[in-house]
Amino acid sequence: MRIFGTWGYLAFLVWAIVLGMLATEARVIFVLGFVIVFSASFFPSGLKPVRRPEFWFLVASAVLLSPFLIGEKDLSLFGLGLSRQGFWAGLWMALRALSMALAVGGFAYAVSADEIARLFEMAGLKGLGFAVGVAFNLLPTLEETARNAYQAMRLRGGFQRERLRALRMLLVAIVVNALRRGDEVVEAAEARAFRPDGPRQALLPPGRADLALVAVLIALGAGLLAWP
Amino acid sequence: MKTRFTTRDLVYIAVFGALWGVLEITFGSYLHLIFPPIATPLVGVGTIMTAVGMVVALIGRLFVPRAGSVLMIGLVVAILKALSMGGVKLSAMIAIIIECLLAELGLFLSRKPGLRRAQSSRRGGFMFAGCLAVLWTFFHKFFASYIFLGRGIYEVYLGILKKGSQALGIETGYALVIVAAYLLIRIVVGGLAGWLASDLGRAVRARLTQAERDRE
Repeated sequence: MRIFGTWGYLAFLVWAIVLGMLATEARVIFVLGFVIVFSASFFPSGLKPVRRPEFWFLVASAVLLSPFLIGEKDLSLFGLGLSRQGFWAGLWMALRALSMALAVGGFAYAVSADEIARLFEMAGLKGLGFAVGVAFNLLPTLEETARNAYQAMRLRGGFQRERLRALRMLLVAIVVNALRRGDEVVEAAEARAFRPDGPRQALLPPGRADLALVAVLIALGAGLLAWP
Repeated sequence: MKTRFTTRDLVYIAVFGALWGVLEITFGSYLHLIFPPIATPLVGVGTIMTAVGMVVALIGRLFVPRAGSVLMIGLVVAILKALSMGGVKLSAMIAIIIECLLAELGLFLSRKPGLRRAQSSRRGGFMFAGCLAVLWTFFHKFFASYIFLGRGIYEVYLGILKKGSQALGIETGYALVIVAAYLLIRIVVGGLAGWLASDLGRAVRARLTQAERDRE
């Protein structure tokens, strides 16, 4: 069962991004620490990226390359000039990126596509939820039709001469096929009496847990920034 | 509040958003592999993918000729990117939304009253919108480095000058020339994207009209 609603998770995301930007040097460790503890407690799936080697490759590259690229070289290691300032800048940079990436990843895991779309709809972008849903379902179909169109042209020798013209024809064929598929979706939606301006379930207002979380986040953020 | 987009508009927005999304997954991943940032200092993969995305979004504008349709396509792509494309890339998502906003601004500024004039100026408007959107890729380096990595703007500027001077084979002292080269390349690429969108959009429309006639 979810303890927080969409508003609570949104507050956590905004907090992590804002504090990630404003917190300087060692304070970033506290931001990252809070993000990890919160994610592990309320949406452990959000920490999945941590298991990927490429994630750590990106973090390590920021830390390891910065002494070579940032600041004046004041150290020498195996004949290579390194910068202490660059190392620290790289470390804070990596931790900042890490905390923001984990917060955004956690938010995406904790909040469904429908809730995100409803947030946008509340901001005046009506119909976005429907568009995102349709786009999500169309992704594999479009990928397949694009591949089929490419294979069909290639088998007919389409790319052997006048490659640019063939590429243009391929792009036109892909867009035309996509629009035809779109027309089928329109017919299906209209057959089900779908109206973009029809009544839609609104997001639930922030609950007590969301409000308590917002209060904790504000207090924590203010304390962290005011800390000398 | 009554929504401005019809069901067909929303489905077409989804279609073009999904098309851009598919290109990001396939073509974008491929480009990231064959063009590492070090190999392409003046035109990064981001610039190429923005131009490709703008071609798709602006064709979408031809089929959903309402203000805000390009922004909606961008929002769909950004959400798809967050939910399905191998982890969340906040910087890229923000870039897509800002680029679409700039494209909308370009289309708004180049709009002219009257259908005929609007049609005649469409190619110009698309090129202007493409230029504005692709130009952002230059400024996004400063924005993203400052916001996400905490690097100073001056530091990023120096890095850009260094890469630019190496690519152009001139001294870093010619800062104005280097920055102008960066901007010029993006203006040309963006203009090309707008022109291509207008050209392909017309070809798509002609093909659909022909198919409709054949059916009748």
